[in-house]
Amino acid sequence: MPVGEPGPSRVPELPGVSGSGTLPVLPVLRELLPRGGLARGSVLAVAEFGLLCLALVAAASADGAWCGIAGIPEAGVLAAAGLGLDAGRTLLVPEPGPAWPQVVASLLDGCEIVLLRPPARASAQVRQRLEATVRRGRGVLLVAGDWPGAQVRLRVVTQRWTGLGDGHGRLRACCAEVVADGRGEAAMTRTRWLWLPAENGGVAVADPRDLPADFPFDVPAADLPFTRAASALRAVSAG
Amino acid sequence: MVVSCPDLHGPDPDPVSARLLEQVIAVVIAFCPKVEVVEPGICAFGARGPARYFGGEMALAARIIAAVADLGVESRAGVADGLFAALLAARAASPAAAAPARKESVGPRVPSYVRCAPPTPQGALADSSNAIMVVPPGGTAQFLAAQPVSVLADQDLAGLLKRLGLGALGDFAALPARDVASRFGDAGECAHRLARGLDPRPLAARPPPADLSVAREFGPPEARAEPVVFAAKALAEQLHAGLAARGLTCVRVQIRATWADGRESSRLWRHDGLLSAAGVADRVRWQLDGCRPPPGDADAEQHPQGGVAALRLAPDLLVRAAGQQLALWGETVVSDRVARAAMRVQAMLGHEAVLRPVLGGGRDFAGQVTPVPFGEKKEPRLAADQPWPGRVIGPAPGVVYPAAREAEVTDDAGEIVTVSGRCAVSAAPARLAVPGEPPRRVTGWAGPWPLAERWWDPAAARRRARFQLATDDGRAWLAVVQDGRWLIEAGYW
Repeated sequence: MPVGEPGPSRVPELPGVSGSGTLPVLPVLRELLPRGGLARGSVLAVAEFGLLCLALVAAASADGAWCGIAGIPEAGVLAAAGLGLDAGRTLLVPEPGPAWPQVVASLLDGCEIVLLRPPARASAQVRQRLEATVRRGRGVLLVAGDWPGAQVRLRVVTQRWTGLGDGHGRLRACCAEVVADGRGEAAMTRTRWLWLPAENGGVAVADPRDLPADFPFDVPAADLPFTRAASALRAVSAG
Repeated sequence: MVVSCPDLHGPDPDPVSARLLEQVIAVVIAFCPKVEVVEPGICAFGARGPARYFGGEMALAARIIAAVADLGVESRAGVADGLFAALLAARAASPAAAAPARKESVGPRVPSYVRCAPPTPQGALADSSNAIMVVPPGGTAQFLAAQPVSVLADQDLAGLLKRLGLGALGDFAALPARDVASRFGDAGECAHRLARGLDPRPLAARPPPADLSVAREFGPPEARAEPVVFAAKALAEQLHAGLAARGLTCVRVQIRATWADGRESSRLWRHDGLLSAAGVADRVRWQLDGCRPPPGDADAEQHPQGGVAALRLAPDLLVRAAGQQLALWGETVVSDRVARAAMRVQAMLGHEAVLRPVLGGGRDFAGQVTPVPFGEKKEPRLAADQPWPGRVIGPAPGVVYPAAREAEVTDDAGEIVTVSGRCAVSAAPARLAVPGEPPRRVTGWAGPWPLAERWWDPAAARRRARFQLATDDGRAWLAVVQDGRWLIEAGYW
């Protein structure tokens, strides 16, 4: 390739992975995040701890980042490893105790990404101090729970497991509707249907036609275009 | 000479006995300054000098035992040429034998070459004299020859020797040293030297070329034990690194703490190249615990010495490092930045608070991840490369409770669902109630999958029946029935 080749044609091949501004996420999660990755120096909030939190940190860890998990003794490291998390580069602090803000600040000094479930409600002052630490350290704080200052908020609106019958079968995959919104550039609400996890333990995009036939579509987000398309498709296939 | 307090002997003394231990050591130090603490409850020192001063080994030992008895602690003493023989002599000396009725029965058991104390007329000394055994100079090999091989610390080796027909240490000592070394390796050679009445390892001939001791000053003096113990761990690592760089290891390590008011506490602890940095830090903790006032005191926080001003670890008796080869290939390289962050959290919360997960095998999701404290060797509890029949297949759950949560699973009639010994389910599960959360309707279930584990070990034996349950909120659960109770082991969401 000539040295003077203009860059733009290469940009789509490296969406968000370019070490400077963002930490990488799994390819199927890129569309949920405003910059196609976890913006360094930002705080993200996931409504509740679950596979979504682990999926968000997995790719960064696989890429060489150290990951701290604080305040979540029940974090399923095995599932996270299946999503790509490198257990060798993971620090667990299951019980950060009453001094958790200092513990998290210390972890942020060493780890690029810290997954935190605050043991107690954080006061505005504590939040601002931690946000400043995150900005200074160019790391990412992913909070499982409520965090009013978060740039991006994600939540699983609906989920449904497949593979389990009435006394037979086994859990195979889970179809989940993930919604992301936030402030500033993330203000637009984005909705994606994902297999979280897919049958191979990873994450994949769910095709509406693959959804379980008895999927409950009367969810609060039913007026979203994607969901409408899904029910329309289902109606077509049923007819 | 070895002084042993059987009541205080244990791998991990509690604060009360640690304090008592410290007082006992202080008493012994009043007789002889250079005392080595072999392990909690056992201390040793060179007896030749003090014995001459106090008028013989018997008299010295009797005085020490009487002084220790004033603290309300029973003790025994053994004297021999080497530490190993002296330990055995102290063990053989039985304070219970002081009762006159049992004296005769003990008499024939003591071999002729072991000099037992003649009863002395003075009251206190007479009581203690049976708690002393003195092996005369040069008689150590003979004394050891009659001991069973089971006294060796290496029980595997002892069992092997017994099966080979070598019941007594004398038989073992009679083997040529070269053959022992080629057959039993470094550990066997060490035991052979012990059996012959020699020191376990030959002393390194040359003196250490440089000062290998490490020290840390605390300014302002540190009143709490935790930061000092934490600093001790880093110091011990530094000490070990310095020794390892020269191919040496130390038999003993001297821990010296200086308080703000200038007082010192100095102890020698057995090391043998086996203690980890955390092990050395534990000994620092015990030593500091011993010097503190009891927790019940009103001024427990404000203890008289005013905090630790300096801590010094010095290796004692350097020998060549012969074994303990560490892994050639390291683990994931931990950068300084991460190590600093992790150790700062450890300093705040304790060593066990920062963990690194190690993936292994097992039938439980919780058991397949072994959390290892940061800085320790990473090894899974259960091997990963085994088939583990009976494990749950399919995607791993995102939520794995470290301790299973209580739950109630009921059928349509509201009765608890039970599983019979033949794995028959009483009714289809219809509702799942987890304490603290609204009840859920079960929309799909599979099971029971029976699992009987470790029936050969009554303490660890478990019989469980597993279920996967899907509930109306879209979540799925891994539930087990154990001893008629429902428990939630993991959650899929």
